[in-house]
Amino acid sequence: MAIITISRGSYSKGREVAEKVAQRMGYQVVSRDVLLEASEKFHISEVKLVRAIHDAPSVLERFTHGKYCYLAFIRAALTERAVKDDLVYHGLAGHLLLKGVPHVLKVRIIADLEARVAAEMKRENLTQSQARSLLLKDDAERRKWTQSLYGADPWDASLYDLVIHINQLTVDDAVDFIVQAAGRECFKTTVEAQQKIQDLALACRVKASLAEDECVDIAVTSEFGNVMVYTKQDDRRAHRLEEKLKPLAKGLPEINHLELRAGQPFPPEAC
Amino acid sequence: MPLIIVSADDFKQGDEISQKVAGTLGYRYLGRDLLHYVATENQVSEEELARALDEAPGLLTRRARRQRLLGLIEAACLNVLLDDSVVCFGLAAHMYVRAVSHALKVRIINEPEQRAEALAEAEGLSVDKARKQVMRQTKDERRWSEETYNLDQTDASLYDMVISLGTLELDKAVEIISDTVGYRKFQPMTYSRKLMQDKALAAAVRRELMGQFPEIRVEANDGTVVVFIQSLKKDQRKKQELVRQIAGGLPGVRHVEVHIIRDLVGQAAQSSR
Repeated sequence: MAIITISRGSYSKGREVAEKVAQRMGYQVVSRDVLLEASEKFHISEVKLVRAIHDAPSVLERFTHGKYCYLAFIRAALTERAVKDDLVYHGLAGHLLLKGVPHVLKVRIIADLEARVAAEMKRENLTQSQARSLLLKDDAERRKWTQSLYGADPWDASLYDLVIHINQLTVDDAVDFIVQAAGRECFKTTVEAQQKIQDLALACRVKASLAEDECVDIAVTSEFGNVMVYTKQDDRRAHRLEEKLKPLAKGLPEINHLELRAGQPFPPEAC
Repeated sequence: MPLIIVSADDFKQGDEISQKVAGTLGYRYLGRDLLHYVATENQVSEEELARALDEAPGLLTRRARRQRLLGLIEAACLNVLLDDSVVCFGLAAHMYVRAVSHALKVRIINEPEQRAEALAEAEGLSVDKARKQVMRQTKDERRWSEETYNLDQTDASLYDMVISLGTLELDKAVEIISDTVGYRKFQPMTYSRKLMQDKALAAAVRRELMGQFPEIRVEANDGTVVVFIQSLKKDQRKKQELVRQIAGGLPGVRHVEVHIIRDLVGQAAQSSR
């Protein structure tokens, strides 16, 4: 089975597509629930998490690391869900939050601005210019968010396996394509792919726990439960971090071995 | 039956997919072979036509000449696309059949990293160098379309779908395209056929006039052709007459309207003499 991420703009019918795909394939559909889970698990208000996944970090936040922590919590919650497989995630940056997992089908749903404006006008009872300016602002914010955190433009088609334009093609057509594509051999959950997502979930869990403990600017990798925590700080300053790792290694039974690598550059596959 | 217009960031893959789709559906394949016909018909070199399609204009590019070459290709291509059941690739048709509802527009892309690896292997470059080359190619591709059609051809919203060959195989892309074209929404309707005929007529008129009027814009509606040209006030009448004479003689043209856009630069140059 597979994991499907659907990236969408507001009023692009991406939610509808995601729900129908999930229904057709008998998968669970996840979006806002990830935020609720993260909110409960890490005792952060959902509003803060919603802002973390929507608004680009301000200059101040780049120093306070607020968004960095919230994002680590959201990613930990999402990867934990993804371990259970058979998942359709729709929302912001799913393709980036699950980066490196081989059996993820990454889809983007787009729609013409005029159609989106009309949908927003109808739903929110706004004038055309109000709806248009809100949508453009929202698009700009999403763009800024992804660019500031991942250095990628969500509008860049090369980030996805499939981009479907809802205009001539309908929601049902999009569902057909996605279901068809998800059935391909390359998106089947192999033993290796399952191991990858388990490792990513573990790494994200470790990172979130450390973020909760105010340890930021770290990167974590895991391979078969062997966890590496990377920090750019030198050995002396990394001592504090090492102290925090000890109880963590005992608290998470999935960890086989936990090691700190100080003063080293972060590997690209690290979360 | 519908038209399929394919655009791709890798020429070889786009060509292969288009030919396979044409083979699967029994459609006619329209590709770069058209350039040979255009070259012979208009006494221009085939290489020059290919360059106009492939290279973004540089500082030394003769822009009017380039526009004319692209105009020749566009007119010839649209003339073929008046027929149904055609798969078209490599002629920039996705830029000029926009809004034609019976044309399924598909873009085929690769992950930049995979493109870089393939390029490094094919040309014996380091991955770093290949990566830079891929970035430059993407930038050039974008610049080509922006300078020619004022649109970014890498923008997904220009297409009905974008398929990445990063994980989906080439044959899967062929299958998806072949399946999609059967959808009711892509069947030719009276309105979409008329739109195509109008586009083809406008392109044919532009082709005939571009030699004399490089900055020309042409619109067509049901045999009525509206031509926008630049002119100084004193030449206005003569030019209008010339346009009417040339355009009026073309098959399918019933009425010609000529609108003059003031040539402000020319006017200023003349008055300063």
